[in-house]
Amino acid sequence: MEEKNLSEQESLQIIQQMINTAKQEQKDDGVGWIIWGWLLFFASIFTWLNIQYHWFKDIALFWNVFGICVALYWIYRIIIYARGRSREKVKTYTADLFAKLNSGFFIFLLLIIFSMNIPVRGVPPAKGFMLLTGLYGFWILVYGTALNFKPSIVCAYITWAIAFAGLFIYKIDPTEGGEFKLVMLVHALAVLVGYIIPGHLANKEFKKLHRKDKQSV
Amino acid sequence: MFKDLDPILHSQLRLAVISLLLSVKEAEFTFLKEKTNATAGNLSVQIQKLKDAGYIDVIKQFKDNYPQTICKITPAGVKAFEQYVKNLQAYLK
Repeated sequence: MEEKNLSEQESLQIIQQMINTAKQEQKDDGVGWIIWGWLLFFASIFTWLNIQYHWFKDIALFWNVFGICVALYWIYRIIIYARGRSREKVKTYTADLFAKLNSGFFIFLLLIIFSMNIPVRGVPPAKGFMLLTGLYGFWILVYGTALNFKPSIVCAYITWAIAFAGLFIYKIDPTEGGEFKLVMLVHALAVLVGYIIPGHLANKEFKKLHRKDKQSV
Repeated sequence: MFKDLDPILHSQLRLAVISLLLSVKEAEFTFLKEKTNATAGNLSVQIQKLKDAGYIDVIKQFKDNYPQTICKITPAGVKAFEQYVKNLQAYLK
C-alpha cells in the first residue's frame, strides 16, 4: 500500500475493504463442530449397536471412550494455552465471546452428565441426553447469531424440537433400556442436524470465502 | 459546511490500519502487514504516527523468544474514526 492523496471515494473504499477483510477473520471454519459432531454421532450409534447386539456388558462403554477423547483434547488445549503457543495473529470480539461461551457450555454439560450419574435420585439417562441436546441447541443458536450463519440458527430450533420430542420416546418403548436405546438414535439425529450438517456448510462457505480472498489479492 | 478531514486518518495506510483495528479486539503487526500489503518499514512509521496521536495502543512483548507487536484501537481512535466518516459523508452528499 503506497501513500498518495486520497479522494473521498477512495477513503470510503479503503474503509469498506478493510472492514470486509476483518469480517473474514470472524468466520468460523466449522472444523470444531464437525469433529465434535462426528464424535458424538459415533458414540451414540455405537452405544445403540452395543445395546442392540450385546457387544459389551458396559452399555456406557462408548460414552466413556468419548469422555476420554474429550478429556485428552482439553488437556492438550490447556498445555497449548499455558505455553502461550496460540498462533492467532488477531483477536476478535467473537473469538473472545466463543471462548467464554465454550467454558460455560462445558461446565453446564458436565453438570448434566454429573446429574445423570447420581445413583437412585439422579436424572434418568434417557432424559439427561435430551437435556444435553437442548444445551447443544442453545450453543448452536448463539454461534449462528454471532456469526450471522443462518443454517445454524435454523438447525438450533430443529435440535430443540428433536430434544422435546425425545422426552416422549418412552411412549414408543416404555422399558428403561428400550427408551435409552431409542434415545441414542434420537441423539445421533440431533447431532447430525445440529452440528454435522451446519459444520460442513460452514466449512464449505469458509473455503469459498478464502478462495475468493486469495483470488482478489 | 465542510469540515477538514483529520490529516492523521486521511492517509491510505493509516486509514487501512484504523479500519482493520476497529473491527477486531487486537491485532499483531504481522497481521496488519499481511492485510494491508504494506512494507514493514512504512507500516512501523504509520503505526507510530497513530500511536502518537493517541488513536492506537501498541504493546511490544516477547512470545517464544521472538518480539511481538500488538496493536489495538483506543476510545479516542474510535471517536476520531467516527468523526472522520461523518465528515466524509458530508463531502459525498
